[in-house]
Amino acid sequence: MAKGMFIDTTICTGCKSCQVACKQWNGLAAEPAHFGKRSGVTYPVADNFTGDSYDNTGSLSATDWRHVRFIEQIDEQRREKRWLFSSDSCKHCSDAGCLNACPTKAIVRTDLGNVVVQQETCIGCKFCIPSCPYGVISFSEESGTVHKCTLCNDRIHNGLGTACAKACPTGSIRFGEVADLRRRADARLAQLKGKGEKAQIYGYEEADGLKVFYLFTDRPGVYGQPEHPIVPQRRLVLCSLVTILTALGIGVAALVNFRERLNGKEEHHES
Amino acid sequence: MSPDNVQVPEWAWYYIAVYFFVAGTSAGAYFIGAMEELFSSAKEREVSRAACYVAFPLLLLVPIPLIADLGRPGRFWHLFIYNQGGYPYLNLQSPMSVGSWVLLVFGVCTLLSFLDNLVADRVISFPLFSRYYNRIPRKLYALVGSLAGFFIAGYTGVLLNVTARPFWAATSPLMGALFLVSGASTGAAAISLYLIWRQRNAGQEVARLESFDRALMISELLLIAVLLVLAGHTAQLLLTLPFLVIFWLGAVALGIAAPLWFKYRSRRQHFGGVPHLAHYLCILAGGLLLRISLLQAGQL
Ligand code: SF4
Ligand code: SF4
Repeated sequence: MAKGMFIDTTICTGCKSCQVACKQWNGLAAEPAHFGKRSGVTYPVADNFTGDSYDNTGSLSATDWRHVRFIEQIDEQRREKRWLFSSDSCKHCSDAGCLNACPTKAIVRTDLGNVVVQQETCIGCKFCIPSCPYGVISFSEESGTVHKCTLCNDRIHNGLGTACAKACPTGSIRFGEVADLRRRADARLAQLKGKGEKAQIYGYEEADGLKVFYLFTDRPGVYGQPEHPIVPQRRLVLCSLVTILTALGIGVAALVNFRERLNGKEEHHES
Repeated sequence: MSPDNVQVPEWAWYYIAVYFFVAGTSAGAYFIGAMEELFSSAKEREVSRAACYVAFPLLLLVPIPLIADLGRPGRFWHLFIYNQGGYPYLNLQSPMSVGSWVLLVFGVCTLLSFLDNLVADRVISFPLFSRYYNRIPRKLYALVGSLAGFFIAGYTGVLLNVTARPFWAATSPLMGALFLVSGASTGAAAISLYLIWRQRNAGQEVARLESFDRALMISELLLIAVLLVLAGHTAQLLLTLPFLVIFWLGAVALGIAAPLWFKYRSRRQHFGGVPHLAHYLCILAGGLLLRISLLQAGQL
């Protein structure tokens, strides 16, 4: 009975309620770098204008576990325009690159299928960071450990939905059983396709199925998601094999060069 | 895949690339020593002796940068023991987890070989130990240690390949192979430097070491060429400063091509002397610069 979320980007209004709810429920600090001291000003001044539409945080980070992306598409003649929104977070992958990479068992999957970082176990080696194909997991200098969305682990284990889904005023973020959410997603997809819209679900196939999946009306890349994400550890066998073969090659080269003992008599060095 | 999709670990080169280099050199040196121990004449032991004296002290340096780069250095023991359950933990999918355990095995083997040589050279002597000395299965730990050493030299490259950073992912599956070959080559250079420093004339042994190293360096150049082809556009950064200097000039030209040319030129000359010293230093510096550039090119 895996839990997850379905993000229908077509009905997101970019209100950022989910961003705020996530920060509030999880007690996440404002992004420190976005506030700076100005000489002569007694209060910290926000310099967190990303210059990218109404996006104020730019990306997921150790203190931004949810990020609403604003995508403005305007044609060259500036006649046609489209404004897309996408509320992004950890995808709680069924085959999670971050979890595979963790050398200390700090990243675990709970009985509800969500992937969480155990703060007291993390050593801050940062290997999970490049191992997540979605750029989700982030390091905090303050705690010396990594952080990301937990799928509101404390809430969902107490029968509540996620804070972001609860706060979403349009129903763009739905929390529930993954199977139910998929049915809902398929129905919505059929509806949109019926209207002739170009729509697709992102997250059925990727990483053995994402527990947090999306309905997009354009290519995943437009929404800042990798087009063909690969769980990096799936390269492990090939990389290991090639390295072992190279080791064998070096072994043979060494044998050719150091082989004297093969012909000489066995005698032990002096002790 | 755009680099924006995948965050950067921000591993500091002065810790991680230095670790890759020191561990690779120690592993390469130990492997060469083990090969001589296993296959060469029992009378000729200068190289294997030097290898043991190089591998262990180098390995002692390894935990320092590794632990220093952790966000919570005091918790490094979590790499071996799951702190919440109190039992040993190994994640076979994670090169970092397996690498930490193999580092332990390698450490034990290099320590044993180091002590072994100290006893053989009569630097230390324990009466009880000396009694059982000849029964020590030194060939066994030479074998286990060289396998572990190979793992140590190679897994650092595999670790980079099994991430989602575009450059590291695109160079799959060759980074492990390249680091392995480079580790063996820098290991050979470290042994030679030790012999020069201790003024040991190892004669034929060094000739064999040199011909082994020539093969390694040619393979290294070939591997770099194929790796760059595989990397395609993700390797564009290597054509900009400072990589033009540290990768092309430092790692490839001064670290591999020039010493290789020098090795061919002086094939019939005798071992020893300043020009040799310089070319071994070039090989070592090249090995370090190779790792710095490949680490940083994946992070920028
Ligand atoms: S999206 Fe990234 S951080 Fe989240 S579970 Fe998947 S691999 Fe881990
Ligand atoms: S599920 Fe919870 S932790 Fe994750 S983004 Fe939503 S509010 Fe934040």
